[in-house]
Amino acid sequence: MIGLESIASYIAEDRESNYDLKEKFDLDNHFIHEKLGVDARAIKSSTEKASDLCVKAFNNLQVSPEGIDCCIVVTQNPDYQIPHTSAIVQSKLNLPQSCACFDISLGCSGYVYGLSVIISFMKSNNFKKGLLFTSDPYSEIIDSNDKNTALLFGDAATVSLISDTPKYAPLDFVFGTNGDHYSELICREKLFMNGRAVFAFTATQIPKQIKELLDKNKLTLEEIDKYILHQGSKYIVDTITKRLGVEPNKVTFEMFDYGNTVSSSIPIILSKELTTLEAEKIVLSGFGVGLSWASTILYKI
Amino acid sequence: MKATESNIKSILDEVSSLVESSDLDINISLTDQGVDSLDLVNVYLLVEEKFEIKIPDEDIAQLQNISQIIDYVNLKVT
Repeated sequence: MIGLESIASYIAEDRESNYDLKEKFDLDNHFIHEKLGVDARAIKSSTEKASDLCVKAFNNLQVSPEGIDCCIVVTQNPDYQIPHTSAIVQSKLNLPQSCACFDISLGCSGYVYGLSVIISFMKSNNFKKGLLFTSDPYSEIIDSNDKNTALLFGDAATVSLISDTPKYAPLDFVFGTNGDHYSELICREKLFMNGRAVFAFTATQIPKQIKELLDKNKLTLEEIDKYILHQGSKYIVDTITKRLGVEPNKVTFEMFDYGNTVSSSIPIILSKELTTLEAEKIVLSGFGVGLSWASTILYKI
Repeated sequence: MKATESNIKSILDEVSSLVESSDLDINISLTDQGVDSLDLVNVYLLVEEKFEIKIPDEDIAQLQNISQIIDYVNLKVT
């Protein structure tokens, strides 16, 4: 069986406070903390690239580079347009030359997609150990004068060790795309987000998809111990929780001190579940740029 | 279904914990009465769902108070 053995993360150390932007954007403390859910954003140094964040996440993972069969990086802010960032990570970590490396270009749905891809890839090639990285430093593409995006995003990376000695494995995946609305969240020179369109998409599609996933697997909302939703903002997590009709204490919210870390937001929270091993069944749901969304159920081995 | 002051205010009650809908003046901008930008987009979504209409982004500027929302919805549903 191939599944998830452990996760390590690295959150950029420097912080920029949203409270320093209160006057600039005409905000109050309640809106910053209770609605955005971002007190401060984690910002990488200007010289660091996506691969550097991956290396720092890997340094927090207890695993030897030897014997790693594949390395996949989920990013839309790669070190360079060419080559793929996973090749750079392979070099920096001294992973074997036999290691298969490729990138996945997805945003906030990327971790769930990435889990499906790496597990399928490893099964079909009889691999034993693989690394799934997420690293999408949005600080490189934010317009600091854009109220819709300047207050949300933080820089971080995670690495998930996928192996034949897992603690959790996926029961099922479901995916979604609505490319008709690709321009609602897009980076031409800087990031642009139509907040209303992204909110409406998320509030309507994600509860629906999670319910469909559970129905398909003959599970009820109550039988899930934990829901880990992409941390878009506190308002969106609260809205999905309400529309889904689950107990708020089953839905983790954790981005006050670092912000929306795109594809890293789910694995940062999931890493704690891999330590405590308290949850029998966990739902993950990622959603965002594309518009793209994906959900899965993990079960404890 | 027709939009009324009562059913638009009940949407506001569902969305915002900070405002008491009975205190709201239907002719004053919701933003000026304490409804923030996130709650406002949620109001528009719930109005779309309740009355089964679509509100294009370009129409949002004319939907700043309860009275305008009622008139807009009732024009759309008739």
